[in-house]
Amino acid sequence: MAIINLKKKEVQAKIVYYGPGRGGKTTNLEYIYKKFRGRIQTEMVTIKTHGDRTLFFDFLPIEIGRIKGYDIRIQLYTVPGQVKYESTRRLVLRGVDGIVFVADSLAVRRKENILSLKSLADNLASYKKSIVEIPLVFQYNKRDLLDEGIPLLPVEWLEKDLNSKLMAPSFEASALKGPNVVQTMKKIIIMTIGSLRKDLT
Amino acid sequence: MAQQRDEDNFRSQVEDRLDHLFQEDSPETTEEHIGLGEHPLKGLKAVLLSIDWEITDSTMDSLLNEIKNVEYVYSDDKIILTFLQLLGSIGRYVKANKGRAHPDATRVINSVYEALERVALNEGMSRAEKEKMLLEEVGKFKKLKEQVVLRKLEKKEPAVFEGTPPAAPAPEEKEIPVTESPAQEEAQVETRAEARFAEMSPHEAFAYALEEVKNVIRAEFRALRAEIKLWRESK
Repeated sequence: MAIINLKKKEVQAKIVYYGPGRGGKTTNLEYIYKKFRGRIQTEMVTIKTHGDRTLFFDFLPIEIGRIKGYDIRIQLYTVPGQVKYESTRRLVLRGVDGIVFVADSLAVRRKENILSLKSLADNLASYKKSIVEIPLVFQYNKRDLLDEGIPLLPVEWLEKDLNSKLMAPSFEASALKGPNVVQTMKKIIIMTIGSLRKDLT
Repeated sequence: MAQQRDEDNFRSQVEDRLDHLFQEDSPETTEEHIGLGEHPLKGLKAVLLSIDWEITDSTMDSLLNEIKNVEYVYSDDKIILTFLQLLGSIGRYVKANKGRAHPDATRVINSVYEALERVALNEGMSRAEKEKMLLEEVGKFKKLKEQVVLRKLEKKEPAVFEGTPPAAPAPEEKEIPVTESPAQEEAQVETRAEARFAEMSPHEAFAYALEEVKNVIRAEFRALRAEIKLWRESK
């Protein structure tokens, strides 16, 4: 749930990058942080294990500035993707306002993508939120590996597996190299702030 | 109507602000990359990318098979063969230990593969440069092996790294002094603590670290209270 302080004219929205382990959620945030560090002027917080995996979450706050008299702040979070951290994922989703689902395009990860999306729907339901209603953007990551000749899932399959009912906006991206990382983030911010708009009167 | 216009205006302001904040100054400056195409390493890379935290027998078997295939192709290239031996050795260790494998094992596998790919694809690279890269990876392999042995000693279990380290051209190794300074002892204690951490699952390690921080804070407060008490008594 976004924090909206009408008296101070402040809005704070929470966006969570969700998806299977090793899919590129942290890499998305790292790309944004490295590329725009000078402009966003905030610090990224990350807790990793020895094996470079996200243990609890990554956190990147972004000050959007004043719009229509409101100071708008966005908090970007990632969840740990590994199967065993279900409770941590649920915890990070508490109060979420928008979701980026980072799907892994590797052909061998098809099942993990589907399971992860199902866990997202279940976890949202535990907070009485619907995956159909919450602002959601799909990112089909690792598309750059196509140039390497690595077997990837065709985008049509990803759309059919994950997005056929939800019909959410989707982007083909490479979190490692940058294409569509920023576009994904912009889209989810616009959708999330748009969904909060009715409360800002 | 007015409300719709207001919403559009708001949305457009948000978009403008985001465009301004996240304007990408220049086209992506990504490293020039040589694609693998139909290169013999293609299959090996695909398998390595599929290795996740939940390592299975079938992925590890695929990895070991791919290594054999590439070994066959590069049977005349000693440097590449040594890279492949490194990968095979770590692969067999990970297969034997799966989730209990040292967390750095997958990182070292990836690092060895990346170096192998650079050496195999870069035709202009001199032999000296290739050897230098190989030595760096052998160093990482040895360090990993030490960590694994240390961890096994802590558990009083036999180390399960199969085979000997690959016979790579290695620099002269310095003899480790037998006498230990306090700093060395401290370092050993730290190493043991790290090894203890390494054998815990991540959330256990975090809980353990949190408990230690709490203990330190409690001890500090106890000491502070004692000092305040002494100060009061002295007045």
